[in-house]
Amino acid sequence: MISSKNVLLSSHGTDGAQAAERAAIAMCETEATIKHLLVVPDLWKDMMGDDWLNNGSTRDRYGRYIESELGKEIDTHISRVRQQAEEKGIHYHCEVILGKPDKCLANACKEAHYDMVIMGSPRPKGVAGLRSRMTTGPLAETISSPLLIVPYPDE
Amino acid sequence: MVYTKKSPALLIIGVIMLAIWFMADSGALSGYIEHLGGKKYKYFTELTSMPLYFGIIAALGGLWVLFGAHKEGQLDYYSSAIAGGMFILIIAMLVRWFIAPEIAVISTMMGKVGDTGKYIHKLLGLNYVVIGIVAGIVIVNVFRVPEWAENGVRLSRLGLKTGVILLGTLYSAAELKNLGGLSIIMIGFFVLGSVGIVLWMGARMKIPNSMGGVLSAGMGVCGVSATVAAAPVVQAKSVEIAYTIGTILLWGVGCMFIFPIVGNLLGMSHVQFGAWAGTGILNSAQVAGAALAFQPDGIETLKVAEIFNITRVLVLPIIVIWLAVWYVKREESVTETVNVGRVIFEKFPVFVIGFILLFALSSTGVFAPANHYKGKYFGNTTESGFKESKVLKSDQRSVLSAGMAQVQRQDRKDALQRLIDNGKVMSIEDDDALRGLINAKVLSSDANKILKGAHKAVRHTAKKIKAFREWITWLFAFGLVGLGMQITLSSMKQAGGQPAIIGAVVGSLKAVLSLIVVMMLVSETI
Repeated sequence: MISSKNVLLSSHGTDGAQAAERAAIAMCETEATIKHLLVVPDLWKDMMGDDWLNNGSTRDRYGRYIESELGKEIDTHISRVRQQAEEKGIHYHCEVILGKPDKCLANACKEAHYDMVIMGSPRPKGVAGLRSRMTTGPLAETISSPLLIVPYPDE
Repeated sequence: MVYTKKSPALLIIGVIMLAIWFMADSGALSGYIEHLGGKKYKYFTELTSMPLYFGIIAALGGLWVLFGAHKEGQLDYYSSAIAGGMFILIIAMLVRWFIAPEIAVISTMMGKVGDTGKYIHKLLGLNYVVIGIVAGIVIVNVFRVPEWAENGVRLSRLGLKTGVILLGTLYSAAELKNLGGLSIIMIGFFVLGSVGIVLWMGARMKIPNSMGGVLSAGMGVCGVSATVAAAPVVQAKSVEIAYTIGTILLWGVGCMFIFPIVGNLLGMSHVQFGAWAGTGILNSAQVAGAALAFQPDGIETLKVAEIFNITRVLVLPIIVIWLAVWYVKREESVTETVNVGRVIFEKFPVFVIGFILLFALSSTGVFAPANHYKGKYFGNTTESGFKESKVLKSDQRSVLSAGMAQVQRQDRKDALQRLIDNGKVMSIEDDDALRGLINAKVLSSDANKILKGAHKAVRHTAKKIKAFREWITWLFAFGLVGLGMQITLSSMKQAGGQPAIIGAVVGSLKAVLSLIVVMMLVSETI
């Protein structure tokens, strides 16, 4: 198996992303570093839609609620990967960004060099979840590090 | 944080507005206006006034944005909204004055569609309201809302709420009573019905209670607004909220285009269409859009539809409490109790109080005599606007006296006699009776002409109400263009999964059943 010392893992908790997390842990040696990039899709900025009837307090409460829900989900993903990394003696860092997943990943690759960039496969049709798909074609052309797209579980 | 973004955009908007005013006022636009309809072009008065006033505001604001010293604080926060507000306004202006009329010209040139007897823009409701919303949707999805305009785009909500508040001036007590009664019955039945069906279908399809709760509020009450209000109460997961909002937006935008077409094809009256749109369209923003799309040059349909919207939003706190109690009962992990008072206080739509206040003020006669109807009122005294020069001359009275023998009905006979005796119409009842006499065409054409003149002399238009009507149209156009800028394809794309199936079933049922009820039970006028 290929081993890496400095990996950029892009995942946000879906089944495909969790497969990427497992692959990243398996590929890293002890004392290697995983940078975990979690992108909260910026579609959430528009997820108040065209609401106009509610007053400010209801909208604020909704905004805080969404933030706390997304925060809880992010915390779950971080603690899961951190635990697996620490068990294997891997250094773990994470970064949470709001934006477009493919653009954020491309930017992260520009800011530092990684031995390997690892991400999950798109969700197959019919599987529930957010529609915020990464366009892997242009991404592969943009980033200079090797890109590993881990197959979706059971595919 | 300093919210004002240094950008020349607001200044440019101001200059464009002033250029439009100058070209219209100096006659440079005459050729183009002739092309857009000449004497039939309805917006010339607006063209020679609005862009001047707003152009000056935008240009001065633009200079302040560019050269002013901006510091953190309330002034910076509120002034940062001007650019976005003007951005929406100039789009609404361009659409209303030029783009929509141009589309109408092209559509008219293409001829009528088949045997419908209507031009394609009439059939599809392609007027300034619909085109304005579409322009907003295109801007946000293709170009994104510019950073300097982001703060101000939120002003669209203020525009719509102010529009609803001002609408309060246009209802008569009888209208409000009849429409209110009808809306309570229809909204009560369809809201409770659709909330119940969603919860029942959700249980059958084994979706989580949190998803069933948020979906039922969105599908049943007022769409996205109800979803925003109910999501924290039923502890909906993020993906469940995304599914619900995506489904409602997709359905709502579709309905906004389809409802006016169906309404036109079925020849529905303003009242019927307003009642149908107010009940059958899931999302409240698109109710106003569909109403104005159906009747762009009047607000009778909007008046009906907005009463239904207000009834919906008044039902919202009750539904939120119901769902909260329902959720707490079903989820063992939830230990919180439902604070009924807090929910009602938080969710109560304050702008409805403004609507009621303006209605009450209007009824006292502040804006027009209390007996006004749609801004028209009866007045046969100098104080109420009657001109003494309009009193019938003796020769006119003689013509009417000569026709007296032909009048059969006693009420018309009495009204005519009083008109001859006094030289003017003496009461609303007499006016109604004399108009009936004109329509009956039993008198000579000369006599009918005199009667029409006598009627016009005692019927006046309230200037303030007329101004309110124009402001309301603009506030809704402004608000809907801005709301269009908040409908993103990325959020609509989230429609899917079981919520989309439930949404399609409940949305279709609600639209079809409410159409049947309206066509069978709602009369053409109210």
